[in-house]
Amino acid sequence: MKRDMASFERRTRRPEAPDGGPNDGDDGPSRPDVDRPDTRDLLRRMRRVDPNQARRYRQRTGE
Amino acid sequence: MNRLFGLETEYGITIDGVDRIDVVEESMQLIRCYLRGEFTPLWDYQLENPRKDVRGFEVKSLLNDTDEKVHLQKDRQRKVPLEELKSDLIIRNGARFYNDHTHPEYATGECLSLFELVAQDRAGERIVDICARRRSEMLSRGVVRIYKNNTDFEGHSYGCHENYLMDRATPFDRIVKGLLPFLVTRQIYAGAGKMGVERGDRASIYQLSQRSEFFEVIASVDTMHKRPLINTRDEPHADAGRYRRLHVILGDANMSEYVTALKVGATALVVALVERDDLPDVVLKDPVAALKDVSRDQSYQWLVELDRKTGRLVPAVEVQRMYLSLAKERFGGRDVETDWVLNAWDEMLDGLERDPMAMVGACDWVSKKWLLDCFRDAEGLSWDNQDDLAWLQSQDLEYHNVDREAGLYFLLEAQGKMVRLIDDERIEEAMSVPPADTRAWFRGRCLEKFGHDVKSVNWDRIVFSRNGELRSVDMKDLVDGEKVAYYNRTLERSNELEEFLNALEGGPQVA
Repeated sequence: MKRDMASFERRTRRPEAPDGGPNDGDDGPSRPDVDRPDTRDLLRRMRRVDPNQARRYRQRTGE
Repeated sequence: MNRLFGLETEYGITIDGVDRIDVVEESMQLIRCYLRGEFTPLWDYQLENPRKDVRGFEVKSLLNDTDEKVHLQKDRQRKVPLEELKSDLIIRNGARFYNDHTHPEYATGECLSLFELVAQDRAGERIVDICARRRSEMLSRGVVRIYKNNTDFEGHSYGCHENYLMDRATPFDRIVKGLLPFLVTRQIYAGAGKMGVERGDRASIYQLSQRSEFFEVIASVDTMHKRPLINTRDEPHADAGRYRRLHVILGDANMSEYVTALKVGATALVVALVERDDLPDVVLKDPVAALKDVSRDQSYQWLVELDRKTGRLVPAVEVQRMYLSLAKERFGGRDVETDWVLNAWDEMLDGLERDPMAMVGACDWVSKKWLLDCFRDAEGLSWDNQDDLAWLQSQDLEYHNVDREAGLYFLLEAQGKMVRLIDDERIEEAMSVPPADTRAWFRGRCLEKFGHDVKSVNWDRIVFSRNGELRSVDMKDLVDGEKVAYYNRTLERSNELEEFLNALEGGPQVA
C-alpha cells in the first residue's frame, strides 16, 4: 500500500465527468490535475486540529 | 436516470469552546437561523407514520438504545412543543430542513437527475454552514461546527439515508434477496472511512465505513436500535397502491461528489434489476457479518462468504461486477447519466482491484486514509497509542467539517485533488432552485409564489388557506412525468391562487 507523496504522481487513472455531463466543454473544476498536492498546506492545517477534538465530540444517536 | 431519488443527511453538531451544549436547543436554533423572520410551523405531520412495516403490520413504537431512552425522558420535561423543537422548514429549492433527533437534517427534494441530486446535496452543506455561521454570531462564546459524517467515535451513529421510488408490485422478499449482496459490498467505494472501531474489541484500525459496525439484523422497521440492512418502513410518500419508497439506511454520508453520484446511480440501476427480477445468482451466507468484515478488512481483499450451497469466498469487487455486468447489458446506452454510472462503476472496480490507494480524489475512504497516513508519518504517530489515535480521529472528523475554510475535504478540493462533477455556480443555484421536472419544483415554487397562503406542507400534499377556506393539492400522483409537467406549467402560468387551484382541479387525471 503506497502512501508516500510521490505515489500521487503515479495515479494517472482518474474518473472524470462524462462526455455530455454537466461540465462538459467548460473550464469548470471537474477534471483534477494529477500534480503532487501541496502537502505543506495540508500538514500545516492538520497540525492546527485540536488533538482532543474527537474526544470532546459527543452526539446523540440518530437514525 | 428514469427514477426519482433523494438524500437525507443528519449532520453532527457541536460548539468549539463550550464544554457542554444542549444539542436539542442548538439544533433547533441552527435550523431557525435559515429564517430572517419568525418561525411558522408548516410541516404536516398527519401524513407521517414511520411505524408501518411493509410486511403488513404496524409496530407500537420504534426502539431506542439505552442512552437515547435516558435523553428522551429528559426531553419530555421540556416545555417546548414538538413542532417547535423540530422546527421543520421547507426551503424554496423543495428540500426539508429540520431538527431530527437532535441532528440538523437536510433532505433534498426529489430528483430525476443524478447530477442534480449532487448539486442539491451539496447545496444542503452550504445552507447548514451558513446557518452555523449565523448561529455563531449570536453566541456570546464558541463557534458552531457542523460535520457531514455518521459517528462520534463513541458508539453514537446518525444517518445519511437514500430514497428510491420503486414499483409496489416488486415482492419484498425479492428486494431483500436482490439488494443484500450489492449493498453489503458497495462500501468498498461508497464508504466514508473511519479511524477506529466503536464496538467490541475497539481495535485501532481504519475502517472503510463509518456505519457498517452499527447494523445488527437483516430487516426491520427500526432505524435507531438494532439497525437493519434493509429498512422495512412503509412510507412511500406517493400512491401506496403503486409505489414503494426504498429507504436505504446503511450508507455513509459522502463528501465526494463522485461517490455520491456513483453510489446513488449504481443503487438506482440495481433497484431496476430487482424490479425486473433480473438478478445475479449470488447469496451471502451472513450479510450482517460480511458488512462488518468488509469494513474492517485491512488486507483489502474484501472476501465475502457465499451461501452454504456454494460456500466459497469471493472478493466484494467480484460481487459488484456481477451486478455491473447485468446492468451494462440491460441499461447500457439508455441515457447519458446511466452510461456515466456504468463507466464510473467499471473504472472504480478496476481501480480498487489494482491499487485501492490510487482512488485518492474519488473515494472518501481512500482520500481520508491518504491524509491520515501522511499526517501519521509526518508526526510519527502510532495507531496503538490512545492519544495518537484520538488525534487521528480528530483529523478524521475534520475531513467532514462543512466549513469550506476549515474542513480537510475542502482543502483537498481547493487543491484540485477531488473529482468534481458540478461547479460551484450550480451548487449556489441549487440552494434556491428546485430540481427541474419534479414535484419538488412544484413544492418549492408554490412556496415562493403563494407562500402566504400555504397552511401546511408534506412531501405529498400542500394545503392552502384563504379567507378561511382550506384547499389541498394531493401530490401522491405527482411522480408521473405528464402530470408533473401539467402541474408545473399551470403553476408558472398562474398569478392568482384561485385560478391556479381551479386549473389543477380541471387538469389531466393520470392513472
